[in-house]
Amino acid sequence: MSDKSMIICRCEEVTYEELIETAEKHKCSARELKLRTRAGMGYCGGRTCRNMVESIPRQYLPNKEQLGLVTLKYQPPIRPVHFGDLGGDET
Amino acid sequence: MTNDVIIIGAGPAGLSAAITCAKHGMNVVVIDEYYKPGGRLLGQLYEEPDGSWWNGIKESDKLYNQAINSGVQLKLSVPVINIERQGTEWNVFTNMETLQANNLLVATGAAESPAPVPGWTLPGVMSVGAAQVMTNVQRVKPGEKGIIIGVNVLSAAIAQELKLANISVESMTLPKINSMNHDYAIPKNVVNSLLHVSHLSPSPIIKIGSNLMKYKLINKLALKFYPNKGIKMWDIPIQLKKAVTQIYGTDKVEGVTIANVDDYGQIIPKSEKSIEVDFVCISGGLYPLAELAAIAGCPFYMIEELGGYVPLHNERMETPLSGLFVAGNITGIEGAKVAAAQGTVAGLSIVNNTLNSAFEFELEEAIKQVRIIREENPIQFHPHIQNGRKKMQKYWNEYFANNQESFII
Amino acid sequence: MSQRIKYHPLLEDYKDGKNITFIFNSEEYIGIEGDTIASALLVNGIRTLRYHEETGTPHGLYCNIGQCFECRVNVNHQQGVRACITPIEDGMVIKSQDVLPTPVKDWREKHDK
Repeated sequence: MSDKSMIICRCEEVTYEELIETAEKHKCSARELKLRTRAGMGYCGGRTCRNMVESIPRQYLPNKEQLGLVTLKYQPPIRPVHFGDLGGDET
Repeated sequence: MTNDVIIIGAGPAGLSAAITCAKHGMNVVVIDEYYKPGGRLLGQLYEEPDGSWWNGIKESDKLYNQAINSGVQLKLSVPVINIERQGTEWNVFTNMETLQANNLLVATGAAESPAPVPGWTLPGVMSVGAAQVMTNVQRVKPGEKGIIIGVNVLSAAIAQELKLANISVESMTLPKINSMNHDYAIPKNVVNSLLHVSHLSPSPIIKIGSNLMKYKLINKLALKFYPNKGIKMWDIPIQLKKAVTQIYGTDKVEGVTIANVDDYGQIIPKSEKSIEVDFVCISGGLYPLAELAAIAGCPFYMIEELGGYVPLHNERMETPLSGLFVAGNITGIEGAKVAAAQGTVAGLSIVNNTLNSAFEFELEEAIKQVRIIREENPIQFHPHIQNGRKKMQKYWNEYFANNQESFII
Repeated sequence: MSQRIKYHPLLEDYKDGKNITFIFNSEEYIGIEGDTIASALLVNGIRTLRYHEETGTPHGLYCNIGQCFECRVNVNHQQGVRACITPIEDGMVIKSQDVLPTPVKDWREKHDK
């Protein structure tokens, strides 16, 4: 296994190569990179790969200052919740 | 029922704040998703400059007992999934119930920055903090023989802890360079950061630092004379001129491939060799775990000296959101003692705001105490922490200069 | 197999808790009260806690403090339980996530879409 097949998003198993190629091709924001590759959209909510997914696009942005500001947002729930726990009591 | 105070995080900051509030007659609930109180303090075990040992488990016990004796209600193994303000109250949604409070302190601490290395998803590869907790808290060896990737204050301290538990550590070394890890994969950058912390840090880094000095060398020269085989620290070679290029194994870690690198982290061809290990620790440093403050709507600033994105706050541990406070590593990466002192400030801030500023003097004193502890603290994760704190104060002042109304209500 | 650290030069001796039994992927194991699911399995020599839903690659514990969700397992029919922060209990039935079917993806690949 080389650098390129190194996994960045462990939940969705998105590789470094896929992220770099997508960022290079589309010169996109972190948000777009996430939507295109699913990196950061898995079970952990992107907690693990977030900073890396944010750092990769910065390397390929034409206008670093402007696009560097588009960071990934946080949204609830910040932990997975079971529907049963939200009041859907079966008993 | 509305509580006076809800605190998220039962680490040194959260528990210190809880004790302070409860001692002033407030009704306090502390929530943590971990099954034991103490937060990341639990795993800590290091030698103080005076030769005594800082035992995180004992310190956690002390805080826990004080909290319980002061009447603090502790909810462990309870993850918080959302926080929302409604009217003058904060709603805290956990996986099981919703709690209300007039004051909310977010003391969620820090998490480890992942530092990917090819092969790092194999079972047996873990963050260095994971190995620390497994060893000191759960008392199970993470493996028989491991290697640590990433040389910094945290990983050096944990290397010693593994050694104390009689776990064999092959070496501490760097990760293979990629476009995201220049700070900790380029030998020049690593040496620089080690030299900057050395005069302030506990024994592990003092030893690396003074060893580097012994090779006579300040900054530029240090690396040139740094031996290829590394300098040993408690028999663990610290290899700043080698990097792990691959972790291998079929369904778990069987070994790593390690290569020599030049001053800029580039692999020297044909220098690769294999080392058998059954576990690997990766260390990419710590960052403030601020997601709850973010969903609450708190403004954020990127302050490198503080370890990443940090919620806007002042020295009183107030945020611009009315009734929302922060303390501990969520405000910047520092040692447990600073976190505890910040927790006391946050507690007094809450008490003072609730009781018509009757504790202004105590609050000022507690703030001074944080500064003193920060200066005396042997563990400094970032050499320019003070600058980071100043920047945050500046952002706070600017924010309030630009926003006429004081707090967001 | 990983060993228990019973004696430590600075920490108190490890106090053996009560022995309990639990099931992991249909096999019975002995655990000790006070362990987490992850540490109980590690003492039994088990590092692989699940297989990736799509690729089937083995995954184990990574952060050990509940942040990364790498160690998630199915406990008593409840999905997504973090093995690293959940104390082991007598009679627990733990299962690894295994590969899930990917019919849409398979169809696409077959039809070249």
